[in-house]
Amino acid sequence: MTRYIIRRILQAIPLLFFISLVLFILMMNMGDPLSTMGGRRVTRPSDRERLTRQLGLDKPLHIQYLYWLIGNDWDELDLDGDGIPETAGNRKGVLRGDFGNSIVSRGKPALEVIWERIPNTLLLMIPAEIVIVLGALSVGIYSALRQYSLTDHVITTATFIGYSMPIFFIALLTMFIFAVLFKRWGLPYLPTVGMFDPAVGKTIPQVLWHMVLPVFSIAAISTAGYSRYIRSTMLEVLSQDYIRTAKSKGLPQREVVFIHALKNASLPIVTIIGLDLPFLLAGALVTESIFAWPGMGRLFIDHLERADVPVVMGIMIIISIAVVFFQLVTDITYAWLDPRIHLE
Amino acid sequence: MKGNWLFKSLAIFVLLAILLTACKPTETVAPTEPPMAGEPTEVVPPVTAPTETAPPEPPAEPKVAVFIFTQEFDNLNPYYTNMWFSSITQQLWDAWAWDFDDKNAPHPVLVAEMPSIENGGLSEDGKVITMKLRDDIVWSDGEPITSADFIFTYEMIMNPSNTVASTYPNDQIETIEAPDDRTVVLTFSEPFIPWVATLWHGLLPKHVLEPVFEAEGTIDNAEWNLKPTVGCGPFVFAEWESGSFVRFVANENYWLGRPMLDEIFIRFVPDDASQINALLAGDGDLGTFFAYSDVPQLEEAGIEIYTVQSGYNEGWYIVLSEDAHPALQDVRVRQAIAMGFDRETLVEDLLLGLTKVAVTYWDNTPYANPALEPWPYDPDQAMALLEEAGWVDTNTDGTRDKDGVELILKYGTTTRAVRQDTQAVAQQQLAEIGVGLELLNYDYDLFFAVDGPCAMGELDIMEWSDTTDFPDPNTSYWLISEIPTEDYPVGLNWQRINDPEVDALFQLQATQVDPDERVATFHEISKLIYERVYWLGLWQDPDLFGVTGKIQNIKFSGTTPFYNIIEWELAD
Repeated sequence: MTRYIIRRILQAIPLLFFISLVLFILMMNMGDPLSTMGGRRVTRPSDRERLTRQLGLDKPLHIQYLYWLIGNDWDELDLDGDGIPETAGNRKGVLRGDFGNSIVSRGKPALEVIWERIPNTLLLMIPAEIVIVLGALSVGIYSALRQYSLTDHVITTATFIGYSMPIFFIALLTMFIFAVLFKRWGLPYLPTVGMFDPAVGKTIPQVLWHMVLPVFSIAAISTAGYSRYIRSTMLEVLSQDYIRTAKSKGLPQREVVFIHALKNASLPIVTIIGLDLPFLLAGALVTESIFAWPGMGRLFIDHLERADVPVVMGIMIIISIAVVFFQLVTDITYAWLDPRIHLE
Repeated sequence: MKGNWLFKSLAIFVLLAILLTACKPTETVAPTEPPMAGEPTEVVPPVTAPTETAPPEPPAEPKVAVFIFTQEFDNLNPYYTNMWFSSITQQLWDAWAWDFDDKNAPHPVLVAEMPSIENGGLSEDGKVITMKLRDDIVWSDGEPITSADFIFTYEMIMNPSNTVASTYPNDQIETIEAPDDRTVVLTFSEPFIPWVATLWHGLLPKHVLEPVFEAEGTIDNAEWNLKPTVGCGPFVFAEWESGSFVRFVANENYWLGRPMLDEIFIRFVPDDASQINALLAGDGDLGTFFAYSDVPQLEEAGIEIYTVQSGYNEGWYIVLSEDAHPALQDVRVRQAIAMGFDRETLVEDLLLGLTKVAVTYWDNTPYANPALEPWPYDPDQAMALLEEAGWVDTNTDGTRDKDGVELILKYGTTTRAVRQDTQAVAQQQLAEIGVGLELLNYDYDLFFAVDGPCAMGELDIMEWSDTTDFPDPNTSYWLISEIPTEDYPVGLNWQRINDPEVDALFQLQATQVDPDERVATFHEISKLIYERVYWLGLWQDPDLFGVTGKIQNIKFSGTTPFYNIIEWELAD
């Protein structure tokens, strides 16, 4: 097992290097960070020339990638524009843990910009994922055990409605109903945006209260989708011979379903959850924007819009590493769930 | 068991995350020095033994106003950002040398009076400005503000190690001197007329930033840029949680008096619909930058809408380069386009009549020629002009042509919804006079990129909203020297308009110290641009602010919106 893990990690190194190269080339063609530096006005030519030089954007693409990867502290830069390099570079490069400074929040390390958002992102995404998994398991198993019953039909209809709804629609609709209209009608109401009410302060009850609508919005669609997977895999497993054997042995229904059937039905679900986990770090772009939740999804789009290469590259590399890591975890989980699988 | 372990781990992690997020210490800044003599002071009750057993009164609830901004600040150092949302907060915590009132007239803040020829603050030739500072100005930590702070600010802006957003207008200064603590003298090599509108938009505290500069050789990485805990406005920075909010608390040391509010809480809500919902639900007291279509709903809910003229006008920039459509070289075609597009109806229907058609680039300022009226909507006259110019529909495909060239213009703008709607209306209306429009949309950063469609001259009509050095009328968009070339690809005359007469008038206004003469020059400039249809105004683009009834005594300025923030008060 250890050899397998080491081999997978070694395989990931060239893969991550290739991903970083492709992403960097794409990013450099995604926009011009200087075009937005004039605010609501067009950036002045003299400022554009100066900032292009100071931020190193005048360098050829391969040099910029090299600086990003291994830093520029071995090189001298021409900051005053007299054509003579006079200032030593101070970037260490990604390989030494320096993702560079954000262009948008100038002077702030990109990793610090990203790190600030991770707790808020996980705070939103982990409860949402728990709600999704528990909700989908409950609905899926219940529906499978009562196939073609009225309840199953109702659940099936509800899940299809949920699955076909765009998330922005659910988010705005629930916000309007439970925050705006409920308040107007004099009913207990939920907050619209943010993590807390400034008049009360950032307390645990406040944060939990402000999580209700965003978590519901994220969970609604995925729960609907996952419950369909669980229903179909459970139906398949429940028709297997060994389940019939277990039942004929007189095992309690609960043990048959949760111990024998669910464990074997879990493999496809584990695959989906394994794919989901790294993207918990990426946050929920639409939900975070609508509910003004300060997570990674918003950070990504805010900085992508302004072509902030260090921050966007940082986010994408972190997610790439997470994808590789969680794929490994998924494979190991397979082996635990199904003893027939051997990792070599 | 393993399942339980996993579930428990996750539960513990979520709880930890909640605790870490909710219990993060708040960096609230309290003034470190006592208020200056003569300033309002907090009365400290004498320490005496209580004589009665009455329960103590609960502390008064802080007066907090919640603003909703749709964009988060990039930086709070006033010289590291041009972002509008960041700039407008400078009146809260980092005063300009002078701000502007609701008539956009300058009003001294750090200076004792506005420099003028009469008081000797401005030389007759417009090259020397002498600023006399107030005697009572102090940073929020109690440190006096002196001329050394102004000199330091200038030096930091001009130092090549600092990646400030713009060196303008400091790059126009020849020398800067501080004869004493309260005097700053600026000398320009040429008369610098737009100084009132452009100089000293914020001040850097020397005593905070100089040690950083000496240690690092740059202030790019100074903590103050993102956490300016020392400022010189009516409020003091308290806290900024990335992506979430910024808090400013009242500055007890502010020399013009303590603000009536205790705290300004600015919440970042990037989604427009969410901003509207938050205002409707009372989760915010002030919002801005919303669409015209949201105004009726807000007004119905009792939210007052303030329309603040900030000099911005939405318009078409007509491109006259050699690569642009040849028809546009003929002024009759440009005039026909102006008369073939019903902009009055556009403003009425699309913008709900909440603004007006823009006539000149300088609308709502004294520099707009008052004799000019919007081009009338007259399709018959437009078609007659096109016929006269030789553009007729010879192949009966519905679009006019000449010498085998179809009259189809590339019309590009950003992806903003109201602009896309405008494109659709224009395409439909101009088709009726035989002019085709190819509609193109770009993300903002691509549209304005140095290798974008505007800079590269790939379009025939470009649309966006812009202003001058407002409230000063100066702009460089029509200068011949700003036409992009191989040697100067970053030039701003993207329309490639090469009109020596207009250029000469722009050069002239830049030297005119006499305000009346300058106004007359701009009347002539605006008339030429109007008649020759180098720019076609679509609508005046004021800033909209929506404020709930919770806040009172509100005024807005188009230049420095929160100029009277110290008078804002919560309703009972």
